[in-house]
Amino acid sequence: MNNILTATGLNKAFDNLQVVKDVSLTIQKGEFVCLVGKSGSGKTTLLSLLSGLEQPTSGEVSINGTSITNSLENDLALFRRKSIGFVFQSFNLIPTLSAWENVALPLFPVKMERGKREERAMELLGQMEIDHRAEHRPSALSGGEKQRVAIARALVNHPEIIFADEPTGNLDSETGGAIMNILKHLHKRKGLSILMVSHDQELAASCDRIIHMKDGEVVS
Amino acid sequence: MNIQYLLKELYYRRRRTLTAVFSLAVGLAILITINALSMAYTEAARIQLKEIGADITVQRAGNVPEELTGPVFACSAVTIKNDEIKQIQQLPGIDGFAQALLLWVFDEDRFTIMLGIDGENPVGPGILRSEVIDGNFFEKGKNQALAEISYARTYNIQTGDQITIAEKIYMVSGIVDASRATKIAAANIYLDINDAQKLAEESKQVQAVSPFGTKDANILFIKANPGHIEALTLSIKNILGEKASIATPASFLKSLGSLFALSDKFSLATSLIALIVTILIVLKTMAGNLAERANEIGVLKAVGWSNKNIVSQLAGESIIQCLMGGMLGLILSFIAASLLGLIQVNIPIPWEMSPTPHFLPGGGDPVFKTLQLPVTISWSLTAFSILLSVVVGAVASALLGNHISQIKPSEVLRNE
Repeated sequence: MNNILTATGLNKAFDNLQVVKDVSLTIQKGEFVCLVGKSGSGKTTLLSLLSGLEQPTSGEVSINGTSITNSLENDLALFRRKSIGFVFQSFNLIPTLSAWENVALPLFPVKMERGKREERAMELLGQMEIDHRAEHRPSALSGGEKQRVAIARALVNHPEIIFADEPTGNLDSETGGAIMNILKHLHKRKGLSILMVSHDQELAASCDRIIHMKDGEVVS
Repeated sequence: MNIQYLLKELYYRRRRTLTAVFSLAVGLAILITINALSMAYTEAARIQLKEIGADITVQRAGNVPEELTGPVFACSAVTIKNDEIKQIQQLPGIDGFAQALLLWVFDEDRFTIMLGIDGENPVGPGILRSEVIDGNFFEKGKNQALAEISYARTYNIQTGDQITIAEKIYMVSGIVDASRATKIAAANIYLDINDAQKLAEESKQVQAVSPFGTKDANILFIKANPGHIEALTLSIKNILGEKASIATPASFLKSLGSLFALSDKFSLATSLIALIVTILIVLKTMAGNLAERANEIGVLKAVGWSNKNIVSQLAGESIIQCLMGGMLGLILSFIAASLLGLIQVNIPIPWEMSPTPHFLPGGGDPVFKTLQLPVTISWSLTAFSILLSVVVGAVASALLGNHISQIKPSEVLRNE
């Protein structure tokens, strides 16, 4: 089985509003998939369902053969820590922590020596070419640097899949392009599976596969 | 709980941290200071009696003597009969008991306030034994007397001199400084109570006002269990009748007239208000913290922190802040206590307890005991405030836990 992610008959409704309608999809290991669609088409909600941040009204999601539907919240948190990396549009870094501490954030609840945590974080910051900014807090970093820190954080636990929600949405085109290159590099060199949400068709074109969404449904 | 993260949150969110810490500190300081002040007034009220090793003094008012010659009773202290004394001694809650006999002696050449005391008794004016500054305390059965220092100076009396009081000769065994002991038991000459009782029994003026027997007295000093003082007061009134004049720490406290002295309920109510306001401010600060950090909590959940991980992290912050507030509150309280300890209070002595006749020059002036307010912060208050700050932190944490479990990462991250 080469599927890293399998979703079957996913539905999500908020009160009477059906946001995701009967979505079934698969993502193969090492595949870079882009989920595109207009604003309000249900992309982010689908990403939340696929990553276990949100429970579907009906349907099932499994990652690497493990069903995450109907799991307890704490079990899901543990699963996300071990198997999933997130990259958000607004970076979502903790403002009081330094760059390396933000990278190491998923490791804080793990029993691990501080030195090893820092070593791992510094290794990733080195890969993102911002290790010289390790001690700076997010307020002292540029948008591109913040997103590199966020990508490093997503990688710190050796995830099986990365979910990226509009990772270039808050960046200028040049910086966005650089971030996209990092994601492509991770995909090609490390064989990481990535599901990226974007409304930018041009960015999507560089992915292995594009999934189009409209009004909560996968249309192609 | 990650200490590094905790310390950075407290440090970089200084405004929030300081608000919580100072709110709790000020609230606790008010709570502790009010209680310390209330206890200080209570202690100050006890001091007059404590100085003579008693908790209650008992007298009985009577008539003014017709003639001021020889030994007479002060109208505020007439005979308490021996059988009444025995009844009082048998009341429950009495830990120590002493009797004394106060006489005004009008001799031709001088007026003397004379107090007959039981020199062997640690309760009551017998404690003057430790205030002898020259010579020795009198010995029983040897017609000896102690002279109070200012009286001795006025009449140039020295240790070893002989003095005549009510036509009886006594040898001055020593000089005593009664001002350092108490104003209630202040007299010019101190005799053994047996010698004083003989003087009273033989005095026509005394007998004319209030029949007096060999074993009678006119002032009682009682050391009592604090919990029994109120009941004892009522029982003694029942035995001695309406003319009984009973002084207790509570009666001194009333005479202070301070707001704090007026009612324990006042300090309790003020403390409770301070406490409730403090807890509300801390909880509001914590709730604000939670709202402000909803996004951060969503991120923590998204990257794999469990509810337990997040609650223990925020609870750690909350408890550390509350402990800091508790410690600062204690420091502020100690500073406030030191400043309040500089306040001088005048504790009025009721006229009936003043041994000086009001008809003598200065005798009608109000008599005060001036002392610095004994404000101290007890270990129990210290322990209570620390415990309270931890409880406030724990309560805030418990409420945090409930809110945190309800935060959905997808919702806060969608609204980023």
